[in-house]
Amino acid sequence: MALALSLAGFSLADDDEHHERQGYKRPKRLAVPSDAPLVWREECAACHMLYAPGLLPADAWREQMRTLADHYGSNASLDPLQEQEILDFLVRAPAANRLPTEPSPTAGEPPRISQTRWFERKHDEVSAAKFARESVGGRFNCVACHRDAERGDFDDDRVKIPR
Amino acid sequence: MKNHWIVLACCLSLPALAETEHPLLPGYAAQARLENPAFAGFSAERGQALYVAEEQRADKTMSCTTCHTADPRKAGKTPAHRKVEPLAPVANPERFSDAQKVEKWFRRNCDDVFARECTAQEKGDFITWISGLQ
Repeated sequence: MALALSLAGFSLADDDEHHERQGYKRPKRLAVPSDAPLVWREECAACHMLYAPGLLPADAWREQMRTLADHYGSNASLDPLQEQEILDFLVRAPAANRLPTEPSPTAGEPPRISQTRWFERKHDEVSAAKFARESVGGRFNCVACHRDAERGDFDDDRVKIPR
Repeated sequence: MKNHWIVLACCLSLPALAETEHPLLPGYAAQARLENPAFAGFSAERGQALYVAEEQRADKTMSCTTCHTADPRKAGKTPAHRKVEPLAPVANPERFSDAQKVEKWFRRNCDDVFARECTAQEKGDFITWISGLQ
């Protein structure tokens, strides 16, 4: 019964406050730790923007690192030593993120930051057309609108959606 | 007058430079010989053909040029919108200077485009072509 109630709460609620009472918060401590290893910065930012580790819980990062040979359709495999160093950082850094790991709706894919309930809720006013703009790139490209996203700054007041 | 000497010095050294083998090629040649006893050297033409070869991958046409552009002396862009610095050493001298990095990117990118590993022959052909671009 308690489970049924909490599930209903999730699907009906649409504001942060309600979710926080249910224990489902959007991740908040997103600043990139100052001891972040260079190998993480270099390897993860070679192909896409550098995602702050606090955006996903540790288990989701474990899943990411376990499936690097098929990383959303690309081979992103690493040498084992680098892989271990990055994994160690990614399971340590998001200690404040105690969210459940939310699987991607696409089968066989690791979790996506942009497919979490908090992401959906925070972006419910952004149309699919805006996400599809060439200047934006897609839901993966936080830096297009959150200029300092790579430092973990997602403040609403600094959002600017490019034309 | 000074400029004339610089121009002259460059002209004199060019043929010598062109004949200097890229430092990664002997290793790939040794590997290629193991893979194929009839190995007969590397070819820049085949290297260029590999660069522009197109494959159908998950309903998309993929080739090296998808991210590196048709001119590897220019910067490109990944599918995730990250800038890719030029691939040709003439435009970016760091390229093909670190054997481990070279292997890492051949491993990943040959898989992404051709759904397989590239052979030592192909890698050597490719380096022969791209390191010879001016």
